[in-house]
Amino acid sequence: MVMSFFRKGDGGLDTIAAHTVSMLAEARHSFDLSSMALLSGADVDAVANDVRATDERINQAEQDLRGELVVHVSVHGSDDIGEVLGYTLLIKKIERIGDQAKNILDLAEEGVDLSSASDIAELSAIRQTISEMMSEAAELLNEHNQERADAYRANADALRGQLEGRIRECMHSEDPGHEIVPRAILFRYWKRIVANLGSVVTTATEPLQTKGYHDDGETDIDD
Amino acid sequence: MFGLVMDQTTAPLTHREMPTGARAVLVVTLIYIFLVGVGLLEGGIKVMGADTQAQLFQGVDNPIAGLFVGILGTVLVQSSSASTSVIVGLVASGALGVDAAVPMIMGANIGTTVTNTLVSLGSIRQSEDFKRAFAAATVHDFFNLLAVMILLPFELLTGWLSGAAESISEQLVGAAGSEWKSPVKKWVKEPVNWLRDGYSNLGLEENVLGTIMVITGIGIVLLALTFITKNMRRLVADRVERSLNAVLGSGGGSVAMLLGMIITISVQSSSITTSIMVPLAAAGVVSIHNIYPVTLGANVGTTITALLAALAASKPEALTIGLVHTLFNVGAIAILYPYKRVREIPIRLAQGLAQIAVTRQAVAIGYVVVMFIVIPLVGVAVFR
Repeated sequence: MVMSFFRKGDGGLDTIAAHTVSMLAEARHSFDLSSMALLSGADVDAVANDVRATDERINQAEQDLRGELVVHVSVHGSDDIGEVLGYTLLIKKIERIGDQAKNILDLAEEGVDLSSASDIAELSAIRQTISEMMSEAAELLNEHNQERADAYRANADALRGQLEGRIRECMHSEDPGHEIVPRAILFRYWKRIVANLGSVVTTATEPLQTKGYHDDGETDIDD
Repeated sequence: MFGLVMDQTTAPLTHREMPTGARAVLVVTLIYIFLVGVGLLEGGIKVMGADTQAQLFQGVDNPIAGLFVGILGTVLVQSSSASTSVIVGLVASGALGVDAAVPMIMGANIGTTVTNTLVSLGSIRQSEDFKRAFAAATVHDFFNLLAVMILLPFELLTGWLSGAAESISEQLVGAAGSEWKSPVKKWVKEPVNWLRDGYSNLGLEENVLGTIMVITGIGIVLLALTFITKNMRRLVADRVERSLNAVLGSGGGSVAMLLGMIITISVQSSSITTSIMVPLAAAGVVSIHNIYPVTLGANVGTTITALLAALAASKPEALTIGLVHTLFNVGAIAILYPYKRVREIPIRLAQGLAQIAVTRQAVAIGYVVVMFIVIPLVGVAVFR
């Protein structure tokens, strides 16, 4: 262990960046499993343990990364305090994505099954889009590409708007509550995940973010 | 990550990073300058008359006074590396005997703990953070105090520490009183001679010349050590961070101790190592039990500077006093660390003091002032 002092290798924020990307990959894994349980009629019990274990790893990673950030500041001083603040925010958002993936599993565990819904193709397409957005967000954490980050944010905003529309539809729907309420909750979780992904990319490019921080200057768009 | 904002908004603010190779060359140059400073200090004392030398160090013949002088001197320069290097220079000049220098070295060990204690005061407004930080800082104080309380009387009674150091030194460079032909000394000698001749050409001689040389030497030692520490910290920061993440929380006491020693040797400052630990303790990232062995490793690691300074000296006694510093710290660990009950004493004392300090913040400030300034000042006045 102490020999790590003499070994060559990445140190500092590069290591923290790599751990953050791994954390996002775990969040994607958790999201895919829980959404599949809801949309494809997969055995919920079979995926539940995996989702919860992944969530625990994400939470542990968040704790470890916080510690690593404190070590970084203690060793390097305030040289890159802006980046450290950005990471603090970023890992919290990824941890929330993990929580929201687990919340989707909770729906499946309550017996919600959307595999035979009339709009299953559309729901699956949205799930696929969000999953791919997680992968792209991980790429953007490593990439210095402002244009791609802006495009990502625009896509995230558009999808968030689309999900908001679906939530409104549910609110005015005549369908029975036991059908429409779980759908509204699912759209709400997806919307939050998309908003958090947008914030991950925003934070990565703008540590002390101001863009999209408020929705019309009034309410937070993510949590 | 975060590259975009760095490129666009903060790039003009960031200073250009010096290439690693260039910084390494700079550090080697600074070490050479540091050795010239030690040589100048030794030369300056030698230029002074024998009467002046005797008068200068008359007061520190008393070991308790010597101990307090060591504390005060180190608190003043905030670096035991600097103060012990100066002591090595004085011993090398022959003006200060090894016996008189031993308590000063022990005092330097106590004095150096003021830095991380001051760092811990930074979190005084957050009570829980402060309690952890203050305990983590003062565990170093209590360990060094206990070490001196045990080893100083033992040394005064038996002379085992200086005896052991002298015997190692004799094996390495020759018997006390002889002339040691240090390979480094000849490289350092020339610039020392140039400076002495330069001052002589200004009409300075004897005591005035000696005093100016001593002041210049101390100034060079302090400046060189400051810049060595600064540059080494930049050179090894990522390695320090990586190894801290690998060791803290998962490594055992001996591994943490070794890490503390390696970091301190790398940055040439135990204050840097111990001060890094304080915010980690404040944030709850590491416990006082994890920090304690790192601190002890730092105690041993910092002795490398006095040994380095001895390379520029012409008397084996200089190496002897450098070795006293190392043996004192290794001996203290051997006595106070292996047995759990004994090991826990400094931790309990530090936690007890932190518990009081967190409810009465004036106690924390009072502790620093009394422990590091008032008691040493009174001690010097009484025992001189």
